[in-house]
Amino acid sequence: MRTFLLRRLPSGLLVLLAASFLIFLILRLIPGDPATSLAGPDAGPEAVAAIRARLGLDRPLLGQYLGWLGDLATGRLGPSYAIGGEVADLIGDSLGATVELTLGALLLVILLGLPLGVLGATVRRGPVAVAVRALTTTVLAIPPFVTGVVLVLVFAVTLGLLPAGGHESILDQPDLGVQYLLLPALCLALPSAAILGRYLKDGLERALAEDYVRTATALGISRRRIVLRHALPNALPPAVTVLGLQVGQLLGGAVLVEAIFAWPGLGQLAEQGVLRRDYPVVQDLLLLLVAVYVAVQLVTDLVYTWLDPRIRWE
Amino acid sequence: MTTLAVGLRRRRLLPAGLHTLRGTAGVLLVGVVVLAGLLAPLLTDADPLAQSGLALAGPSGAHPFGTDDLGRDLFSRVLHGIRTDLLISVTAVPVGAVLGCALALLAATSRGADVAVQRVFDLLLAFPGLILALAVTAVLGPGRWPVVIVIALAEIPGFGRQLRAGILVQREREYALAARVGGASRARVLLRHVLPNAVDPLIVQGAIAFSLAVFIEGAMSFLGVGVRPPEPSLGGILSQSMAYLSTHPGYAAAPLLVVTALVLGLTLIAEALNEGIRR
Repeated sequence: MRTFLLRRLPSGLLVLLAASFLIFLILRLIPGDPATSLAGPDAGPEAVAAIRARLGLDRPLLGQYLGWLGDLATGRLGPSYAIGGEVADLIGDSLGATVELTLGALLLVILLGLPLGVLGATVRRGPVAVAVRALTTTVLAIPPFVTGVVLVLVFAVTLGLLPAGGHESILDQPDLGVQYLLLPALCLALPSAAILGRYLKDGLERALAEDYVRTATALGISRRRIVLRHALPNALPPAVTVLGLQVGQLLGGAVLVEAIFAWPGLGQLAEQGVLRRDYPVVQDLLLLLVAVYVAVQLVTDLVYTWLDPRIRWE
Repeated sequence: MTTLAVGLRRRRLLPAGLHTLRGTAGVLLVGVVVLAGLLAPLLTDADPLAQSGLALAGPSGAHPFGTDDLGRDLFSRVLHGIRTDLLISVTAVPVGAVLGCALALLAATSRGADVAVQRVFDLLLAFPGLILALAVTAVLGPGRWPVVIVIALAEIPGFGRQLRAGILVQREREYALAARVGGASRARVLLRHVLPNAVDPLIVQGAIAFSLAVFIEGAMSFLGVGVRPPEPSLGGILSQSMAYLSTHPGYAAAPLLVVTALVLGLTLIAEALNEGIRR
């Protein structure tokens, strides 16, 4: 495992470095000078120049870039330009909400995707099979903002069971927090659950066609045991890879779901940061997202090797 | 012989996939929505931008879907919203398709190019698409063009990877080898022999691409960076209705139904075509 990590970590760091450079450059391409907009319409050129100097915007681009990397390495994220407050505090405040949403969604993806895949592979005809297939197609086809509106209409407006939007920390008030979390997490989870279910169904169908399944059947082992103990472990590794990719999708999708349900997470912060040209907030945020993505890939590969002992940590 | 077989298969391909129940349902759903959008000026003479004092009214003879929060006729806004979405998709999807296919062809030229192109696709797929949407809008300002650009960028990897996979399979086939042995240049084999046989899956990708376009347009409207109001778009109307869900749920009904019919129909068409190709 150590050799595996030693081999994979450098390439991950390289991706991060390349991403940091790209993010820095793209943000500088955005027209409009943050110093000018900060100084306000009545400010003279000296005031703007003073702000530029204070923010370090008068330095050459390469110097600014290296300065940013140095700050990151020492853990000083500095103040935000426009939103107000320290970048570290802003990100810290919203990070919890997004992690809550993403983990909640991930849990739902597994809880919904596993039975969907197993049902899809084992029940081949009848109303259950038709229902599973129709559900998968519909959920995959319909965009999250439609699902979101429908969920709110059904569970918040008609039934009055759950709040239509907003956020309560699940750590402070678990019972209330879960109520706020349920609809956004479900909205975020549904497409990924359908994808996981589909991959798992394909994998299970392949596994169930293998010789060892016929042998097990001939030995008189129950169908249930064959599916759950023999075929499923062989179908899981590819599904875990898909799940890993879906974590990236969940993080990206969180931006939209947070906007629909007024969920105060990183997506909302990114939206504000980009629209108000707050360089420090946006570049730290984007790099954080890429870092999480790289880390998730790494963990996915680790879990994969753990689930499939035929693959060595080399 | 081969060309004859391929020709026959081609000609049968579209009906073969679409004659199934799934395919017909998809064509009907998409057809009704698209026709409603195209015929909007004939179906209603209400101005989609004209405001009135009659805000948030229910359906009536004068306003079949009721009116929105500014008293605008929702029937007219939804129909013209379909037009906006169609116009955006018809501009953006072909651009993304052509760029993606060009990159796939570039990837087929050498191993180094292949690696580089694959990384480009990975980057476009990995980068959170809606943050890209925010960034593009920050550069260009909100409006119709940023939506078109973001959709075009998002379509590139889908088409590119599909065509690349097709080329990889087809160029190992015997006919490609035969063409090489017959003295055809690499470029000729790629463009005249391999490419025509690798494009079938792209038809499926086309249907998927249009539903992705509807998705991105709507998502950008919800993020507040989409088509600029008062111009109607499907996502825009739906996101404006969010504020009135609890008091006037009927406001959301029409855009909800139209978007669902459109994306569901496109998905059904894609699935039917996919099965038609596999058969």
